[in-house]
Amino acid sequence: MTELAPAAPPAPRRRRLDLTTPTLLGLPLGWLAVFFIAPIAIVLLYSFNVYSLYPGEQGFTLKAWHDFFQSSIYLSLFWKSVQMSLIVSVIAVALAYPLAYFLALSGTKRKYVFLLLLIAPFLTSYLLRVLAWKVILGDHGVINSFLSWTGIRDPDHPISQLLYSRFAVILVLIYVWLPFVALPIFVSLENLDRRLLEAATDLGASRFQAFWRVTLPLSLPGVVAALFFVFIPTLGEFVTPSLVGGASGYMYGNQIVDLFSTGFPDWQTGSVLAIFLLGVVALLMILSARFLQARKVTAD
Amino acid sequence: MSDGDGLPERQLSRDRFLRIAAAAGGAVLLPGVAAEAAGALATESGRLQVLDWAGYGNDGGQDMFAQYVKKYPSNKPQFTVMGNESDALAKLHAGLKPDLFRPYVGWVKYFATSGLVQPWNPKLISNFKQLNPFMVKAGQHNGKQYGIPADWGFDAILYRTDKVKPKSRSWGLIFDDRYKGRISWFDDLNMITLAGLYLGFPRPWRQTDEQLKRSQDLLIKKKKNVRLIWSSEPNLWEAFGSGDLWIAYAWPNDWVQMKKKKLKVAYMRPKEKPIAWVGMFMLLKGTSRSKLAHAYVDAWSSAKSGKWLEDNYGYGHANTRARPTSSDLLRALQLTNLRAVTEPNAYLDRDIPRRALYARTWEEVKAS
Repeated sequence: MTELAPAAPPAPRRRRLDLTTPTLLGLPLGWLAVFFIAPIAIVLLYSFNVYSLYPGEQGFTLKAWHDFFQSSIYLSLFWKSVQMSLIVSVIAVALAYPLAYFLALSGTKRKYVFLLLLIAPFLTSYLLRVLAWKVILGDHGVINSFLSWTGIRDPDHPISQLLYSRFAVILVLIYVWLPFVALPIFVSLENLDRRLLEAATDLGASRFQAFWRVTLPLSLPGVVAALFFVFIPTLGEFVTPSLVGGASGYMYGNQIVDLFSTGFPDWQTGSVLAIFLLGVVALLMILSARFLQARKVTAD
Repeated sequence: MSDGDGLPERQLSRDRFLRIAAAAGGAVLLPGVAAEAAGALATESGRLQVLDWAGYGNDGGQDMFAQYVKKYPSNKPQFTVMGNESDALAKLHAGLKPDLFRPYVGWVKYFATSGLVQPWNPKLISNFKQLNPFMVKAGQHNGKQYGIPADWGFDAILYRTDKVKPKSRSWGLIFDDRYKGRISWFDDLNMITLAGLYLGFPRPWRQTDEQLKRSQDLLIKKKKNVRLIWSSEPNLWEAFGSGDLWIAYAWPNDWVQMKKKKLKVAYMRPKEKPIAWVGMFMLLKGTSRSKLAHAYVDAWSSAKSGKWLEDNYGYGHANTRARPTSSDLLRALQLTNLRAVTEPNAYLDRDIPRRALYARTWEEVKAS
């Protein structure tokens, strides 16, 4: 009798090293680390005078941070910029919502054509679009010329607040950001489960009630995302204010640029202002991310 | 590097050979200058690296250095743009290695003592003797010629004569409450100096803390009258030319440009005196193209280049023989008077020992 040898256990399969994920993630993460995290870390070091481009005394100090928080001027300027950005964001969202609503829910077959029209201004240069407003808003621009032609305004006394003012910055920023705002709201409304609206109607809700209690709450993540989408970049805006803002439209972003590059370089204070802005923006992004994670509601 | 180093590495073209032969031949007659020129050809190679303002390189300013390019076609200048002196300083510290650059006169002492630059040898600049002696003097530090004067102009007041009735010939016009929303300042820490001049401080470039506070308070208080703080001339021309502005801190060329637009304008020299600014070429320490840099500045310093600059850019030129075609510019710059840039006519801009504090003070004015 031959003994049957117990079956040999299967040879363990050699575990293959899966490099797909590290390869896919490595490049973008490396890119971020080198060109985003490292520069921010350097700017942070500048703000504490640990690192400096210029010869002179170096060493860790909180002086620039202390001066920043003690300075009513910089914080006031930051608050002024927050107010301006908030006004821009709220008005842009208010104007974009009906537009996005029409495109997403009207059932028009040409909605993507309209959407293309909405983003058509992006085909021209940002600078060109902003500069065009100078032609419209100047003392002898389109608006003032029209007002004097109709006799509403004396030609010798045009509305000078239209250009080189805070108003001009807000107006131009709204114009520039409107398409950006409309897109996330459009996506949010486009993904809305239409059966919820039918159910609301079946249950006796009027069109306004259905909008107020169903459409608006469900599109809020898109609205909030759009709000932050505008607020965050406009808070550090400096191109538009430098073109149409004049002395009164000067914003926090302009101050950062000027501290780094005009007069006499003050990279330490400039870095403090930049890091403070970054901190505020990061906080806002965390908040906006929470809204974006809101669960989708369906009729199922 | 000894004379002759690097020569074997380069192939001598026929053109190049003839030029060296000419220089060598000329050396019999003009031993010093020709020998220097021949030496330059023998020892210095590569393109001349120039750190200069926009508009002075191959983007429109070619006529200023055409003579240099003609003479040294193998060493054509290569330009890096500087936004201002602060930007240039950052670039130099960040590792840029130009052979020469052009800050303005108020920075001469700062750079001369920074260890970044070295003095020029005026003997290598044939046009040097034609340069305005007051500007030449302003380019010196400890008796050495660190700056070679180039372009220049005034900081004074441009205003619309049909809209503005000045109470007096004073810097006070750019603070005048009657013209709220029609005034433009210049985005520069010189605004602090100017406020000091207006307030009657004896040394506005060396204000005490208390004086700086008073200058800043004045500027913050009067900023409500200001519509635009300009940072580039086209920016000013557009706003002033379209009628948005009536009064501006401006340069002579701005007056000429507005006159060309048929505006009724005057260029006021305030009783507190205008401030004269002068562009100064500075030679970087350790440059390997020192003689080429001298040749480049020599080309810039000629009367021909000067006239071109005056006719095309509207700035004055340090070469006293340069004369613009425009009689308006001739008058605005007072080109027939060598002393126009200095007292008793004007203050030549000068070193500000506490420049960083001045800059911070001005930034706070803008932010307020």
